[in-house]
Amino acid sequence: MSMGFLRIQNLTKRFGEVTAVDRVDLEIRAGEFFTLLGPSGCGKTTTLRMVGGLEKPDDGEIHMAERCLVSPAKGVFVKPERRDMGMVFQSYALWPHMTVFENVAYPLKLRRVRRAEMRERTRAALELVGLGGFEERPATALSGGQQQRVALARALVFSPGVLLLDEPLSNLDARLREEMRRELKALQRRVKVTVLFVTHDQMEALSMSDRVGIMNRGRLEQVGAPEDVYYQPATAFARDFLGKVFALAGKIVETNGEECRVELKDLAAPPMCVRAHRIGESPWATGKEVMVAIRPEQISLAKSAGDCKGNVLPVTLQASQFLGDRYEYTVAVGAESRVLTAPASQPLKPGQQIYLELDPAAITLWPTAQ
Amino acid sequence: MQGRIGAETFWCSLVLAGVAFFVLYPIVLIVVNSFQVAKPGMPPLYGLDGWRAVLAEPGLRRAVYNTFSLLVVRQLLSFPLAVFIAWLLARTDLPGKSFLEFMFWLSFFLPSLSVTLGWILILDPDYGIANQIWKFLTGAGHGPFNIYSFWGIVWAHIGHNTTAVKVMLLTPAFRNMDASLEEASEVAGSSPLGTLVRILVPIMTPVFLVVLVLAIINGLQAFEIEMILGAPIGFHVYSTKVYQLVQQEPPSFGPATALSTLVLFILLPLIVVQRKLIARRQYTTITGRYHAKAIPLGRWKVPAVAFVSLVALLITVAPMAFVLMGTFMSLFGFFNIPHAWTAENWKRVFDDPIFLLSLKNTLLMSLGAAAFSVSLFSIIAYISVRTKFVWRSALDFISWFPSAMPGILMGIGLLWLFLDVTFFRALYGTIWLLIIATVISSITLGTQLIKSNLLQLGMELEEASHAAGASWLTTFRRIVAPLLYPMLLLVGVLGFIHAARDISNVALLATSSSRTLALLQLDFMVSGRYESAAVVATIVMLLTTGIALIARFLGLRVGIRA
Repeated sequence: MSMGFLRIQNLTKRFGEVTAVDRVDLEIRAGEFFTLLGPSGCGKTTTLRMVGGLEKPDDGEIHMAERCLVSPAKGVFVKPERRDMGMVFQSYALWPHMTVFENVAYPLKLRRVRRAEMRERTRAALELVGLGGFEERPATALSGGQQQRVALARALVFSPGVLLLDEPLSNLDARLREEMRRELKALQRRVKVTVLFVTHDQMEALSMSDRVGIMNRGRLEQVGAPEDVYYQPATAFARDFLGKVFALAGKIVETNGEECRVELKDLAAPPMCVRAHRIGESPWATGKEVMVAIRPEQISLAKSAGDCKGNVLPVTLQASQFLGDRYEYTVAVGAESRVLTAPASQPLKPGQQIYLELDPAAITLWPTAQ
Repeated sequence: MQGRIGAETFWCSLVLAGVAFFVLYPIVLIVVNSFQVAKPGMPPLYGLDGWRAVLAEPGLRRAVYNTFSLLVVRQLLSFPLAVFIAWLLARTDLPGKSFLEFMFWLSFFLPSLSVTLGWILILDPDYGIANQIWKFLTGAGHGPFNIYSFWGIVWAHIGHNTTAVKVMLLTPAFRNMDASLEEASEVAGSSPLGTLVRILVPIMTPVFLVVLVLAIINGLQAFEIEMILGAPIGFHVYSTKVYQLVQQEPPSFGPATALSTLVLFILLPLIVVQRKLIARRQYTTITGRYHAKAIPLGRWKVPAVAFVSLVALLITVAPMAFVLMGTFMSLFGFFNIPHAWTAENWKRVFDDPIFLLSLKNTLLMSLGAAAFSVSLFSIIAYISVRTKFVWRSALDFISWFPSAMPGILMGIGLLWLFLDVTFFRALYGTIWLLIIATVISSITLGTQLIKSNLLQLGMELEEASHAAGASWLTTFRRIVAPLLYPMLLLVGVLGFIHAARDISNVALLATSSSRTLALLQLDFMVSGRYESAAVVATIVMLLTTGIALIARFLGLRVGIRA
C-alpha cells in the first residue's frame, strides 16, 4: 500500500520573513523508524513540532491513519493532547516536582486509567527502559542517561501511535550516546512503534533509521534508505553533509547512456569510467565539465596498477599515520594533497608511487559549480 | 481550532484592556485635568491657570526644588555607604555577615511611617531621647538634633529604605560576580581596597546604574516621611504639596494636576530606561558560578563589624525599640511626671471602634490585595512570556508604568476615575478601591518576578504535558502552578505587606469607613498623638515583618528542597 501511516503534504511554516519549513511532502509507514537529518536551523525540529501539534503550520496538511490532524485551509487543528503521540524532548522535560513514577504515570492519569492498571503499566514502562525500582526517586536526582530513559518511558507508557524524538541523544556524553543508540533501536523493534526522529548527527541517523530524510533550509532534499542516501546522494548538500567526499574535476569525453568516460583535469591518468544512475539524463552530454565524487572509504589502495580492477589513479604517498585500527594516508593527486584512510594491509612508505582504485558504480557525477 | 485562537486572543485582549484602563486612564485624567480651570462640580472649562500657578507660585516651585535637592543629597550619602556595606557582606570574612544581611532585609519590610515615628521619638528637638541625654550630659538648654528639618528628612530616609534596598540589591550582585577577576587584581599586586576601587566598582557599574535608577524613582515616590517631618515646618516636596492642594477646602485641582503632570514628564523617560536596564540584566545575572574564598579583613575586622552592626541596629532595632517604648509612656519623653509608664495606650487603642474598623479594613484589604496580585500578575506574566498574543509586548510595557508612578499621583488619578465614571462610583468609600490602587501600584515587581521564573521553567515542561495528553488548564494546574508555587507565595506576601503599610497610594482614596491602620497612624501622628500612633505602628510592624519572616521561613524550606 502506498498510503503512509503518517502523511505530511506541502507542509509550510514561516517565522516572519524566514520560511522555516518549505513545502515538505513525506509519508512515513507504520512501524517505521524515520529520521529527519539536517544541520541546526534546517527546519527538522519545526517539522517534528508541527507533527506533534506544538507549532501551527501556515500551509499544508498532516494526516495520521486517515485522520486529518491539521489543515489551515480546512480550518482543522487537533490539539497536541488529542493527537496520541508520545514525545521525548531534547532537555527531557521531566517535571522536577514529581517523582519518576509520577512523571511516567501522568499520561495514564490524564486518560483516567484505573489505579491498579496505571501502577502496572507504569512499572512495565520503567522495566522496558531498564529503570525498574527507580519509581520513588525525584526525577531530577537521576543522571542524564537515566532521565532520558524516564522521558522515553513517559512517552511510551500510553502506547502512542507515533513516538516523536527531538534530538534525545544530544545531551549525553559520547559513550552513553552510543549505548542509547543501540538500545533505542532495539526498543523500537520490540515495541514496534512508529518513530519520527530528529537529529543533526548523521551517524545516529544512518545507524538507527529505516529511512532518512535529509533537510536543508526548510526543504526536504532526499528521502531514502541509509545506504542509498549515503552512497547515492541526490544533492550536493546531502553528499557533503553525510560524510567525507573525494572529488576530482574533469570533462565528459564519451557517453552511451549507461556509462560515460571522464577525462580528469591536470592529471596524467586514463579517462575514468562512471556507471552512475543518472547518466541517461540530458545534462551529462559529451564535452560537459563535471566533478566526479566518491566516498573515500570506497577507494582501495594498491602497490601496483596491475592489482586494480576498476579505474586506476596513480598518486604519490606523502605521509602515513597509524591510528590504531587503520592508517591515515596523505597522498598527492596532481598538485593537491588529499587524505585517505585504509586498513593497514601492507606497509607503504612515504615517497612511494601507489595506485587508487575507484569502482565505476560507486562514483557519482556532479556539475562543476558544486 | 479557530475557536481556540479566537478565545486566546479574546481573553488576552480583555486583560490588556483592563490593565491599560486602570494604569493609563488615571494618567490621562491627570494630564487633561491640569488644563481644567472650572471649580469642582462646575461644567469643565479649559485654561492654563493650573500651569501658571506651578510656574509662578513660589511655594510650588520651591516644592519641586526641594524634591530634587533631597533626592540628590540622599543618593550622594547612601550610595557609597550601601556599596561599602554590600561589599563587606558579600566579599569579606566579616563575622556574622548573614545575620547582618538579614537585618537589612528586615529593614526593607518595616513601614517607613513607623520608622519615622521611632526617629521622632529619638530626635524630636524638645523631648527626643537623644536631645534629652545631650541636655543631661552637657547641661545645655537645647539639644543639637532636630528631626523636623531638611537633614532630619535626609536622616529618616537613609535610616530606612534608602540604604536597606540598595544593600539588598547589591549584596547578591557582588556575590555573583566572577571572583577570578578580583583574584587576578590581587595577584597583580593590588590591596583589597585598591581592588574594590579599581576592579569591582568599574565592573559593577551596570548594576549600580540599575540600582541608581530605581533609587531615583523611589525617591520621587516618597511621601509620608516628608509629610510628617516637613509639613509642620512648611517644608514641602511636590507630593506633599499635591496632597495639601487636594485636601484643602475647596480643593485646588488645577495646580495639583499640573504639578503632577510635570513630575510625570520627568518620570516617563526613567520608565523606559529602567525597563531597558533591567530587562537586559535578566539574562546576564547568572554568571560566575565560581566563588572565591572571602577576602580576609585582618585588623580591619573589628572596626568593620562594629560599623556594619551600628548601621544595622540604627535602621532596625533603634526605631522599633523606641516605638515600642512609646506605647508604654503616658506622655512620650517625659520620664519625671507621675505615672510616666502605663499600659493605658494599648487599652485605649483597642477599645477604640475606629481602630478595630481600621484593623479589619487592613486585614481584608491586604488579603484581598495578596490574592488579587497573585492571580492578576501570573496571568499578565503568562501572557507576555508564553502566548503569541499580538499585543503582549504592549501589555508588558504598560506593566512598567506603575513602578514609576508616585502613589499620590496614582491616588489622584484613581480618585478622579472613580468619581467621574458612574459605574465605579459605588466603589468609592469601600476597600475595593484601595485594593485596586495597591495592586496596580505593585504590578511591575510582581509581574517581573513571575516572568523571570516562567522564563527559567522552559517551554518543554509544558509541551511535554500537552504531548502526554493534558489540556491547557490541566497543564497550568498540575505543572505550571506547582513549579511556580514558591514565587507565587512570595508575590502574595509582597502584595500583602505592600497593602498593609501603604500610605501614598491610598491616602487620597480612603474615607472614614475604609480607613486602614497605616492611615490611622498617619492621622494620629499629624495630630500629635504619638503614644496612640506608636501602638498602631507596633501592630503594623508586627503585621508586615511577621508575614515577611513567615515567608522567609517558607522560602528557605522551598529553597532547600529545590
